[in-house]
Amino acid sequence: MRDRPILQAVLIAAAAGVCAIVSNAAAGPQRRVAWRGAISPPAVPSPAPASVSGASAVPAAPAASPASSAFAPHADTAWVEISGADASALHARGGVPFLDARRTAVYRDGHIPGARPFSVWEADADEKVRAFFAEGHEPSAPIVVYCSGGDCEDSHMLAQKLYLAGFDAVFVYKDGFPDWRKRGLGTAKGANP
Amino acid sequence: MRGGSSKILAHPWLSIAVRVALGGIFVAAAIPKIADPPSFAHMIYNYRLLPGGLVGAAALWMPWVELLAGLALVAGVWRRGGALLAGGLLVLFVAAVGINLARGHAIDCGCFDVRDAGKTEAARFADMRWVLVRDAGMLLLAAQAFFLARRERSRQRI
Repeated sequence: MRDRPILQAVLIAAAAGVCAIVSNAAAGPQRRVAWRGAISPPAVPSPAPASVSGASAVPAAPAASPASSAFAPHADTAWVEISGADASALHARGGVPFLDARRTAVYRDGHIPGARPFSVWEADADEKVRAFFAEGHEPSAPIVVYCSGGDCEDSHMLAQKLYLAGFDAVFVYKDGFPDWRKRGLGTAKGANP
Repeated sequence: MRGGSSKILAHPWLSIAVRVALGGIFVAAAIPKIADPPSFAHMIYNYRLLPGGLVGAAALWMPWVELLAGLALVAGVWRRGGALLAGGLLVLFVAAVGINLARGHAIDCGCFDVRDAGKTEAARFADMRWVLVRDAGMLLLAAQAFFLARRERSRQRI
């Protein structure tokens, strides 16, 4: 035992496993990670990155405007990517849920007003999606999800979870919160939407 | 000359310094990962090497291996086991970063900081190259800690 490095290494690794189990069990929901399966890469291919509004910008208009048809449900694909102009139009419309896929701690530092924290990396992500569905949101009504823009895929992962839960009008705000801030649109801070 | 350099390499104070330095680095690297497993899971996912179903388990277990291996080295208890694990992890890190560098996929290393640093692609590639050099150096330290401990033990037996 005194000079059996392989056995020592195995025992250290086993002790690490015990520590990880205890630490994860004792952690709060925002620090906990599911041991298996909860993190799934976005498997459904995103459609062409073109904005929903395409050539013509979607005006910030009430629900009865032509913009309503632009944000139609898309049952054949998990999400459609939208631009900052589209996201701000949907935000201005009111009543459209905005879900923030970034870490809850990052959400607290600043988020789109009214957005709710839905980090896909925290262990309660699936639970939150189920609870959101149970709230009785119309499955074909638009939902906007966002993260940090760039190569961030968290919003796509969340969109996929929402799609699999039954929502078929999920829009990914591709450029995310940095773009929102760059546009000078309002932001909120803290744990509440 | 060879005997001289061998003596320097085998000097007890050097062995202690190497062990404590390597162990300290591992402990320092483990703490932010243990403090924020979801962010570390995100980092591991970004490497695109593990299936999604294993990312959570790796994010939870690996930092504790780092921490305990580091503590073993610092404390000098089961130091060869600690050095073996440290060396194994370093080989794993070098392979993971090297594969991503070779396929042109820029990632944040997640070695000491698990938050998204918002770096440019060029900055990430530069960091990845530096990580390879740094980890290769640390691998030499792990080898020193592993083999020198064995030599010390054989000497004690004589």
